[in-house]
Amino acid sequence: MLLRTEKLSKQFSGIYALKDINFQIAAGEIHGLVGENGAGKSTLIKMLTGVYQTEEGDIYWEDKKVKIMNPSQSRNLGINVVHQDRTLIPTFDGVENAYLGREYPHRGIQVSWKEMRQRVEKVRDQLGIDIDLSRLASELSPPQKTCLEIIRAMMNDCKLLILDEPTASLTDKESEILFDIIGKLKERGTSVLYVSHRMDEIFRLTDRVTVFKNGSMVSCMRTEDVNRNELVSMMADEWSGEGIKHNTSFGNVLLEAKNIQTQDGIMKNGTIQAHEREILGVFGLGGSGRTELLEAIYGYRPMKSGTVEIAGEKQEKLSPANSIKKGMILISEDRRGKAIIEGLSVKENILLSSIDAYSKYFHIDEKKEKADVQDKSNALNIKMTGMNQRVLELSGGNQQKVVFARALMTDPKVFLCDEPTQAVDIMTRSEIHKLLRKKADEGNAVVYVSSDIKEILEVADTIQIVAQGETRNKLKNENLTAKEVLSYCYEDA
Amino acid sequence: MDKSKKNTGTNIKQILHAYGTIIALIAVILLFSIISPGSFFTLTNFINITRQISLLVMISIGATMVMSINEFDLSVGSMASLGGIMAALLAVNGMPMILCFLIPIVISFVIGWINGWIVAKFRVLSFITTLGMSTVLSGVIYRLSGGATIFENIPKSFSWLGTTRLGRIPLLSILMIVAVVIFWYLMRHTALGRKLYAIGGNEETAKISGINVKKYKNIAFAICAVMACITGMLIASRVGSANTTAGDGYFLQSYAAVFIGCTASRKGVPNVAGTLIGAAILGVLANGLTMLQIPTYMQDIITGGIIIFAVIAQKLGRGDSK
Repeated sequence: MLLRTEKLSKQFSGIYALKDINFQIAAGEIHGLVGENGAGKSTLIKMLTGVYQTEEGDIYWEDKKVKIMNPSQSRNLGINVVHQDRTLIPTFDGVENAYLGREYPHRGIQVSWKEMRQRVEKVRDQLGIDIDLSRLASELSPPQKTCLEIIRAMMNDCKLLILDEPTASLTDKESEILFDIIGKLKERGTSVLYVSHRMDEIFRLTDRVTVFKNGSMVSCMRTEDVNRNELVSMMADEWSGEGIKHNTSFGNVLLEAKNIQTQDGIMKNGTIQAHEREILGVFGLGGSGRTELLEAIYGYRPMKSGTVEIAGEKQEKLSPANSIKKGMILISEDRRGKAIIEGLSVKENILLSSIDAYSKYFHIDEKKEKADVQDKSNALNIKMTGMNQRVLELSGGNQQKVVFARALMTDPKVFLCDEPTQAVDIMTRSEIHKLLRKKADEGNAVVYVSSDIKEILEVADTIQIVAQGETRNKLKNENLTAKEVLSYCYEDA
Repeated sequence: MDKSKKNTGTNIKQILHAYGTIIALIAVILLFSIISPGSFFTLTNFINITRQISLLVMISIGATMVMSINEFDLSVGSMASLGGIMAALLAVNGMPMILCFLIPIVISFVIGWINGWIVAKFRVLSFITTLGMSTVLSGVIYRLSGGATIFENIPKSFSWLGTTRLGRIPLLSILMIVAVVIFWYLMRHTALGRKLYAIGGNEETAKISGINVKKYKNIAFAICAVMACITGMLIASRVGSANTTAGDGYFLQSYAAVFIGCTASRKGVPNVAGTLIGAAILGVLANGLTMLQIPTYMQDIITGGIIIFAVIAQKLGRGDSK
């Protein structure tokens, strides 16, 4: 066995991200790793590559017990990883990128560029990759970048190559190039740990596949002994949203977005419709384009084509300011980056979207502001020393309440919520759910994006599936199970 | 991490944090008063200091606005020089005095707007953009003036603004106070100020919250350029001539005042009251050191040291020194 773990576990502040993992990879094997968002795949990769240290359980490398303390130690063992978010330096050429984090060969005090180039070319040719190493990384196409990352990973004696969602940003045709290279790696006897959401790739490439669910290892089997449906059902819980009351009768259409294509090409074709009294859950796996879709509809992310109608009225010029005017608000998933201003006070943060509402002729009605902010923060039960406290000092849950308070100040009809309960405590989570249900019952529309399938089944009346940059089926949340929802995501286009 | 700092902080630390900048100003005044009571600690000298800092304060509050959105305008110095040149040229050519001062203001507004438009539209570094603009303006100044100081045929009325006194108080000092009050109100109590601070705090959040970031960037740069222009015209009016580089020296001084001013705010952000204190510290130092006949190079060393110290203090005050 090349790699073996015994009862490997990892916990973060008391919660297990990985529990009792007994995982194996044989030499020369292509091993698939699947599981839904948060199943523990990334945690395992980080432990094998020395980003996280092992505290419970053991790792055996070539049948010898090892402690992987840091990334360079992991590399020295022969483990290399190609991440989904690429780590090339755009202004370096292929040779220099291949040498990142590696000692440059010297002749005297001078770097021997010739020797570097020869070494990289050798690895390139062995892998049969066709790429010009003198070009800057920024000039390379997405598959070429992936190839370059693989070259970099193979620069030293690599025995295990971890590919983390390598095809996420590639087209089908581009993926083929990658699959060829994986074939070559296998011939050379290099093991590959292949992590992907895409089932057809798992079936096409891998010898064995391991399934993770909620931090545990569910199963490990030969790929040929299992079919797609069995695999998907292993990844998902039996859990369903049954027993929770959902709205089934909706009013008029409040939000209609058609054929949204973002300029960056991440969302290719998005169409959603949300009605009065409806909580529309939007579910998709990581990288499916759900955040991009919401941001484009809101007017924050540049759109290439598509139309947005709010309450039957076509939005002529999309911008956050216009959306707010028409009664649509976005709760961003990136709280620190896009939703709060850490240096400003709770009051100032809550008022951000309604500055003009209190301002007349160079004068702000500060008394009314204070009263309204107090109202909203009482209603949402924001825990703070006072409204002048800096928002930076609040807990994650209370920061999120501040973001909601700001949204409520504008009296919106359409709520676009992107992972609104991300990194908040359980209390706040249920308060946010209740608030949005109340808002829907009052005749508003809520679009609720979450990567947590259980949460979607819990909150949503209807579920819109997003996969690979497209909106797909829209399901009624009646007797739906997580399994069924997931199976739509894994369906090929 | 921020909380623990607060809890362990002693009272003295908190006081220094909150009032350190004002304490520094008082300390400097006390120091000079003790060393040279006869010449420094007199009403005449204090009135004199207000006049000496008035021009610096006016150019600095414009810079405060641009810095509140986390940008820089390095063209304020040459904008000021250009303002003086334009006003003087118009006066020499017999333009009514009111227009001599109004036309340059309009032109500077447009120049500032262009600065802001480039920075916001193309998302480029304001540092480099305005450095380029500064060079462009220097060229324009040369083209207009031929590189020479303009002093011939300037009507006497041109000097009224810069030299008049109301009783013992110079008009310049009064103009400074008016400008400070207006800008303090703008930044603290109007929608404009709120939006600028929001943009400076986090541009993306401001945008998602519905603030028109581009528009307000344009406004901030435009107002900054106008204040620089006004300062330049007042410099020319005070000395009765327009030098091609009259405003250049104000550029670094103004940013020094703003940075010192940041330390006077609890949040460590640029603010008008702080800028006034910052300019006062610089003004008192210059006045006192000159009185003690400290050579100019020593004054430079001291001023430069204070700027560096202020930047560090500002960073620590913000609590985000990563």
